[in-house]
Amino acid sequence: MRLEIKNLSLRYGTKKPLFEGVNLTVDSGDFVLIHGPSGSGKSSFLRLPSRLQEPASGEILLDGRSVRRRDVTELRRTVGYVQQTPEMAGGAVRSNLTLSFTFRAAREKRLPDENMLRTLLDDFLLQDVDLDDDAETLSMGQKQRIALIRTLLSEPRFLLCDEPTSALDPESKSVVETWLERLALEQNIGIVKVTHLDFRPERIRARRYRLDGGLQEVCG
Amino acid sequence: MNLIEISPLQLLLCLVFVLIAGTGSVIFRLNLEKDLAWGTVRTFAQLFLVGYVLKYIFQINNPYLILILFVWMVFWAAHAIRGRVKEKEVAYFVPTFISMVASYTTVSILVTAAIVQVKPWYTPQYFIPLGGMIVGNSMNAVTIALERLFSDLRKQRARIELALCLGATYQEATTTILRDVVKAGMIPSINALMTVGLVSLPGMMTGQILAGSDPMTAIKYQIIVMLMIVAATAIGSLIVVHVVRRRCFTRAHQLSI
Repeated sequence: MRLEIKNLSLRYGTKKPLFEGVNLTVDSGDFVLIHGPSGSGKSSFLRLPSRLQEPASGEILLDGRSVRRRDVTELRRTVGYVQQTPEMAGGAVRSNLTLSFTFRAAREKRLPDENMLRTLLDDFLLQDVDLDDDAETLSMGQKQRIALIRTLLSEPRFLLCDEPTSALDPESKSVVETWLERLALEQNIGIVKVTHLDFRPERIRARRYRLDGGLQEVCG
Repeated sequence: MNLIEISPLQLLLCLVFVLIAGTGSVIFRLNLEKDLAWGTVRTFAQLFLVGYVLKYIFQINNPYLILILFVWMVFWAAHAIRGRVKEKEVAYFVPTFISMVASYTTVSILVTAAIVQVKPWYTPQYFIPLGGMIVGNSMNAVTIALERLFSDLRKQRARIELALCLGATYQEATTTILRDVVKAGMIPSINALMTVGLVSLPGMMTGQILAGSDPMTAIKYQIIVMLMIVAATAIGSLIVVHVVRRRCFTRAHQLSI
């Protein structure tokens, strides 16, 4: 699959555009890192492909077809987006993880069983978290990982994550980063990650971009 | 019927009450004299006007005219809601007004035609006061529900967007909010069911008793009124909230407020 962003610009009200002329192509299995100064519109940029908001101009295509012409609930399952501040839906960890299965768009999907959920929690170093725990009582770092697992369970083909490791300790951070690399390598998911400059993936060649008024590829 | 007719002189005698209130205002420097005077003039003028309009409509007894008057009453209720909700971003007046007209007309016709069994159903002596009570009472529920709807949608933006991100429709993303909002609007009329007759005697019932009705007849009407208000409140706020929620999202299921 291919996600193409063409000549995209975003502005709020009558202010000058946050960015303009942004072009980016992400194929299945690609690993794209975006950094930039705060306020440069990185978070807003990630919201555009899944149509949580609309750009001022430009076009976004999924497999050659405009996202505007696709069913929006299907689109959002295909192009997964993980919010910067992890939001919990209320209730237990279990119901948070399986939230996407309660919606009509997932009516034909099989609900993951207890073992699968438990294994995923363990994989993300969440052994201390019980499926029956109240999700709101978790730490920020735990919530970030729950939010990531929750999106993964909806089986996206592209994953756009907004600083998904900002609240994690070094060990958990490394686990999450390794997972993201594996998703690209083994499950062929296209990853776009807003991140800090210091992040260096170990097993995969990443493309780096800087967003600051426009999007420029950065070498190395 | 042993109704005592009130003469113009008796009515003017009532002004003594305003004078008493006005004197209190002067002595205690409440500065309410002007408002009291203007309020009294308006009470006389508005009620006399309504009295003449009703008298005219009762004489003509034309269903179209009666329905127009009813829609006019709903329009002012919707206008009052707009004044209290104070929402600038969403154009909710027209959908609210239309939903209120649809639901209140249905309940009013049901009450006069099926329950009280007035023939014809639009007999203004029944349709206008019963319909008026529906409008006046459910208006509060709609106000509460709309205020809560707008504030909850804004407060829970992150949670709504979380659900949208995971493939929810805007309806699915706001199921809980909608439920809470309608409940909040319904609570006052359910509370009224619990306390009627204990805490206060309802205005309509006292009015009927004053007009010479048997108290047992009056309470039967009051029961009908209480239950129809609950129904109108539920139907009215459910429809209004569903229709207005639609206006808070774009066609691409994006929260637009």
